[in-house]
Amino acid sequence: MRRIQTLFRMAARGVLREARRSLLTASAMALGLALLMFTRSLADGGHEDWIDTGVRMGAGHVLFQAPGFRESQSLDDRLSEKQSGAAVAALAGLQGPMAPLATTLRLSTRGLASSASSALPVVIDAVNPETESSFSQTAARVVEGRYLEADDRLAAYVGVGLVERLGLSVGSRFVLTAQSTSGEIQGQLVRVVGIFRTGLPEVDEGSVNIPISTARSWLGAEGAVTTVGAILPYSRLVPEVVETLRSTVDDDDIRVLSWQEAYPELDAAVRLDDYGDYIFMGVLFAIVALAVLNTVLMAVLHRKREFGVLQALGLTPAETGMVVFVEGLLLTALAGVIGMIAGAALAWGFFRNGLDFSVFLSEEFTFGGIVIDPVIVPEFRFVQVLQSFVSIAVVGIAASIYPAYHATKIDVGEALKFE
Amino acid sequence: MTTDTPDEDGFTGQDMSHAVGADAATGGSATATADIAVRTEDVWKIYAQEPEDVEAVRGVSLEIREGDFMTMAGPSGSGKTTLLNLLGGLTRPTRGRIWVRDKEITNFSGKELARMRLESIGFVFQAFNLLPVLSALENAEFSLLLRGVPAEERHRRVQELFAEIGLDGLESRKPARLSGGQQQRVAVARAVVGEPTLVLADEPTANLDSHSSDDLLDVMERLNREHGTTFLFSTHDPRVVERARRRVSLVDGQIVSDERG
Repeated sequence: MRRIQTLFRMAARGVLREARRSLLTASAMALGLALLMFTRSLADGGHEDWIDTGVRMGAGHVLFQAPGFRESQSLDDRLSEKQSGAAVAALAGLQGPMAPLATTLRLSTRGLASSASSALPVVIDAVNPETESSFSQTAARVVEGRYLEADDRLAAYVGVGLVERLGLSVGSRFVLTAQSTSGEIQGQLVRVVGIFRTGLPEVDEGSVNIPISTARSWLGAEGAVTTVGAILPYSRLVPEVVETLRSTVDDDDIRVLSWQEAYPELDAAVRLDDYGDYIFMGVLFAIVALAVLNTVLMAVLHRKREFGVLQALGLTPAETGMVVFVEGLLLTALAGVIGMIAGAALAWGFFRNGLDFSVFLSEEFTFGGIVIDPVIVPEFRFVQVLQSFVSIAVVGIAASIYPAYHATKIDVGEALKFE
Repeated sequence: MTTDTPDEDGFTGQDMSHAVGADAATGGSATATADIAVRTEDVWKIYAQEPEDVEAVRGVSLEIREGDFMTMAGPSGSGKTTLLNLLGGLTRPTRGRIWVRDKEITNFSGKELARMRLESIGFVFQAFNLLPVLSALENAEFSLLLRGVPAEERHRRVQELFAEIGLDGLESRKPARLSGGQQQRVAVARAVVGEPTLVLADEPTANLDSHSSDDLLDVMERLNREHGTTFLFSTHDPRVVERARRRVSLVDGQIVSDERG
């Protein structure tokens, strides 16, 4: 035990003796760790923002739908009043951190929007105006007029692209045509009360919101919905929530979908960006590893004589290697502490209100089916700090192995030669 | 003179070395005597090199007795340092056998050799080779620390030794703040504090002025006289050779003379 203590003390003094070199190496590692923590928090924050935007443009982090609705987008695949009630009850049963921030009931179908000048295919989302305004991104993107209100009957909230192509304006009337639950084609006259712009052409040109009560009587779907959706506090809760909901709603005619299943393009975009981050981190790790390897190896080469003396005095080759290895560990620990403080300061201290990338991104830059917000707010989590520290520790340890091995292999007689 | 036991002076002689080696090769015994510190039998060290291998040590058979104060002299390249490294277990012989006291170390593993060095051998190097991160006291007590001697006991022994060799008051100084003579005395303290079987000193005075050299030799002579510490010096320095009570000469890796007195 005393021998081990001695080796640690030798290693600690070795680190302190070459204070400048140690500090430079630790700084390189610390910078790497700080950058890693910062980029991770920025990436996580960005992804959370993308997901939040995406699910609010759609129908939430978790969705209840009838089997087949996602593919058919038809009222034939709808949930009955009893089924939607079960879904709502299941969502209401989520407690604590899993409790939804907002829920929505939607009756959606494909149809045709016709004005005097033109006709265009659209997705008709019939919503409850009272709950939808706190749920939907679309509701917040009003550019003219207003969003739907509780006592609206024949009101329509339409995208700016559709307005332009049908020659509409706030107050204009147009006809929505869709297949009712009885299979007949039914028309409904509605009036534009508000116009929105999301920045996504397919939404701005092809989406219409109307009150759910209007749609139900028009399409003969009293009490029915096609989707029950919920917004959760964090996207990382989704797997647990989906599992809970699936076990709560024991009905083969109700599907519980995660946002990844409902919006595969968004999921693919997040994954793609993650891969890019991993490559960046890999390069960062490689640079840090080489810096540590170089420093520790050079230290070994410069101190061959010292290690020769240690072995002449009775240290075994393995113990000599251990001194070098512990030096690497101490450098890593030093760098870890500095890096974590620097990374936290960078992410939390300077950018907790967000980092504005609007110089590089236009306001309507789209990716993965959503409009990317140019202001990214870093998301700072303890697990992320721990992961970053473990990663840098692995790099530091890995980079110390070869120099330590090298130290065990020195020729003592050769190392002690007087030059 | 073809015997496998050394003569009275502990020297088997060049001519005998082959005979001893031959005997060993045929299973000849190598019994150790109680007062023999280190013994070699037909030891060779050959370094593979292009275009020709280098025979640094050639069939050396040598006995060093407890309490010897001996020098090993010879021109540069005569194999002094290599032989010292072989005796100290820093290098393995290409062939031949080596004993430290009654233990044959020829085929010791790296770990066993390290243990043997810790317990039985003290080194004094030409370049002092103190550990720069440790103080004078910590350098001197290093081998005791590795042996697990308690701190109080270590400090007591080192301080007694420091007082004896004129290093009083320098315990906390780092090597960089000691003169060459002081550093070498710390190195001597480090070598002898564990009461090793043999202290190997490779050109210990080569980097010292004449005054410091004389002081150092006084110290080592006193340690030999008063504590019975066995010293083997590899040296060119005539002052060292003069003080030795036994003088071995090495030429081209072979012992050519071994004189006492």
